[in-house]
Amino acid sequence: MAIAVAGGGDAVALFETRHRDLRRRKALTTGLGALLFALAFGASAIVGEVDPGRFAAGVPNILDYVHRTLPEISARQPLTDIGEWYWAIDIWLLLMLDTVLMGFVGTLAGTAVALLFCFHAAANLAPTRWSFWLARRGFEFARTVPELVFALIFVFAFGPGPFAGVLAIAIHSAGALGKLFAEVNENADPRPIDALAAAGAGWTETMRFAVLPQVLPNFLSYGLLRFEINVRAASVLGIVGAGGIGEELYLVVRRFLYSDISAIVLLILITVSLIDMGCERLRHGLIEAGPARATR
Amino acid sequence: MIGAADLAAIREAHPRVFRRSTAERRRLALIWTVFLAVLALGLWRVLPGWDVFVAGLGKLGFLVRFMIPPAHGGHLDQMLHGLAETLAMAFMGTLLAAFAALPLGFLGARNVLPVRLFHFGLRRLFDGLRGIDSLIWAIVFVAAVGMGPFAGILALAVPDTGTLAKLFAEAIENVEKRQVEGIEAAGANGVERARFGILPQVLPVMLSHVLYFFESNTRSATILGVVGAGGIGLQLAERIRLDDWQEVAFIILLILVAVAVIDWISGRLRRRIIAA
Amino acid sequence: MLEITGLTRRFGSVTAVDDVTLAVPNGQMVGIIGRSGAGKSTLLRLINRLIDPSAGRLVFEGRDVGALTGRALRDWRTDCAMIFQQFNLVQRLDVLTNVLVGRLNHRSTLSSLFKLFSAEERALAIRTLDRFDLAEAALQRADTLSGGQQQRVAIARALMQEPRIILADEPIASLDPRNGKVVMDALRRINREDGLTVLCNLHTLDTARQYCDRIVGMRAGRVVFDGVPAQLTAAMVRDIYGMSEEELDQAETVTSTAIEAAPSRMAA
Repeated sequence: MAIAVAGGGDAVALFETRHRDLRRRKALTTGLGALLFALAFGASAIVGEVDPGRFAAGVPNILDYVHRTLPEISARQPLTDIGEWYWAIDIWLLLMLDTVLMGFVGTLAGTAVALLFCFHAAANLAPTRWSFWLARRGFEFARTVPELVFALIFVFAFGPGPFAGVLAIAIHSAGALGKLFAEVNENADPRPIDALAAAGAGWTETMRFAVLPQVLPNFLSYGLLRFEINVRAASVLGIVGAGGIGEELYLVVRRFLYSDISAIVLLILITVSLIDMGCERLRHGLIEAGPARATR
Repeated sequence: MIGAADLAAIREAHPRVFRRSTAERRRLALIWTVFLAVLALGLWRVLPGWDVFVAGLGKLGFLVRFMIPPAHGGHLDQMLHGLAETLAMAFMGTLLAAFAALPLGFLGARNVLPVRLFHFGLRRLFDGLRGIDSLIWAIVFVAAVGMGPFAGILALAVPDTGTLAKLFAEAIENVEKRQVEGIEAAGANGVERARFGILPQVLPVMLSHVLYFFESNTRSATILGVVGAGGIGLQLAERIRLDDWQEVAFIILLILVAVAVIDWISGRLRRRIIAA
Repeated sequence: MLEITGLTRRFGSVTAVDDVTLAVPNGQMVGIIGRSGAGKSTLLRLINRLIDPSAGRLVFEGRDVGALTGRALRDWRTDCAMIFQQFNLVQRLDVLTNVLVGRLNHRSTLSSLFKLFSAEERALAIRTLDRFDLAEAALQRADTLSGGQQQRVAIARALMQEPRIILADEPIASLDPRNGKVVMDALRRINREDGLTVLCNLHTLDTARQYCDRIVGMRAGRVVFDGVPAQLTAAMVRDIYGMSEEELDQAETVTSTAIEAAPSRMAA
């Protein structure tokens, strides 16, 4: 190589060439990236029928639409007006309760399935190669197919109603949680696992006593997080007929019952926020109180 | 192994080993009662009648049988167009959200605008935007700008603007202070400070978030078509209504492949951005 | 009688245990010494069958245990309990459950899954813990105990298996000298009182000399010494370790100070 024998002047020249090379390569990458981005942008604009004119024409529509949904609440008799706005509060609350219950039952069922197979889906724990493969692929499939697609299919099979929604939520949750649980399992301390195997415990017992106590607090935390997500999901599944408040929401949208739209959306927002807050407190409690309680 | 007398003695000496304390048992009983009551209520509300369940299972079995083998039934171009529409919606929706969230993120960051009330109000607005699912936004936008992918783009962009603005604001609040001070010392005004002091630090984080949202939007965009907001979801819903299960299966496979490819590409890009 | 004949284990091109032949009569306390990497751990894991041998025979009381599978293999593992350097307790479970884990192979899977241990089993666990002065700690979480206490819990867990052999893999290497003595005393007690065979990997010669009836020296996977402590001459030590006992002590002091200096959570 020339570097070893190069004098001072050569070193500068060498640096210059290298620097130029590097810059050229960087410029090339940047240019290529920009070109690809421009192509994607152009193609998306065409395929996506992006039309600034239409958007501009639509903006007043959107504002008008939002404006119409706002309830009329006068300063003179606000309570009466709010009562009128939420004229069907009894029905909506019941539907909202159904929605939360759908999220609850769906999360629980999904967690159960994930719990059952997550040990198979962990590379360090799987008893056999084929069960590992099967669990991994199963979870992958369950979480990649959107909930709404499952819901469409189940509504077709079981008819409209919350059961289809619960099934859809359960399957999707099983996939999402299964992957997370398996990752937690793969970080479990291997020493107790060794000890239990050496004591003659079977695979199931080893999972129960050496792995589960280590991972359970994490599982619960992920489960609660999933519950929050699932209540949101449950509130829209009704759009395809899978029960809950979403069905009512879609109905009032299509019937142009404007103030009802805002009433229901606000109800969903409040419920979801309350559940988020409650779950966050539970999760913090779980982390702070330590896993001692969770395991005994 | 152990005599009855010994057992009694050990029980006497270590009662908690054999039986939990009354307080603890009460606490556990309460937790389980509440849990089981909620579960029972939930099951009562959601479970269908037995005959509906059995009939549904039978139908589901048929369905899966009819799905095999998946086939496009000569509608491949239509499906691919739907898929392209889905990807375009995800791309444009994410881009739009990112551009809208950039100034909002700066405004929402405590260290940029230290006005508490304004900050609080803006954060609640972000929460409101992201608290409403993109599917609900899709319904609204279909009503406002008509059916088609454009409504879908807007429906993806609005809730993501809220989430991205929040994430951006958090990233900006976590910047290294000294670099910003250096720019200030050089006599920069507010906008210059943001552009040269803050942006270079947070840009990789922001890009990484945006790419992640592109991935997740690809998934969301597949279903917006169900309410008429463009993409492959429309065709999927149509095929289900028409009982065309082979094509349904084909479309689901298309979605799976598309999502996997996008995940792979975006994952690689994100790793590169973080490494750089 | 545990008879090991020509036992060999290869990992790729490395032979970790090379043609080991040993006969251990019941009730003997055997110390296995050698440098780290000499194959001591692998030998114990081969006996417990956590690792499968590449060649050789493993016979206990006339029963070939080298080729067992499934239920029979688990029974054999229950017969030869293992004790580990890092104790390998489930940190988040209480001491009682950690000890009861030793009973898992004696009961049905279903009742185990719901942690339904019988009153007799609980009493037995308490009695076993009491032998090592740990009955009062039964309901504490394992990670609240000191290293010496944890290792004694591990010994109690091993005894719950009602084993015939105890395989102890560097049981005191993670402990300070005082706790090390308590643990070694406990091992000798179960050897003398319960008549259990004890095979113990040790890294300190003193300990091996003091506690064991018989010492086996290993180098590069092979047995290079097998005899009573008195036969372990300076020349033999040099042969096993590749250095004299003084140099060994010195190296040992260096490592143990290093262990003590490091912030160790075991020393709580």
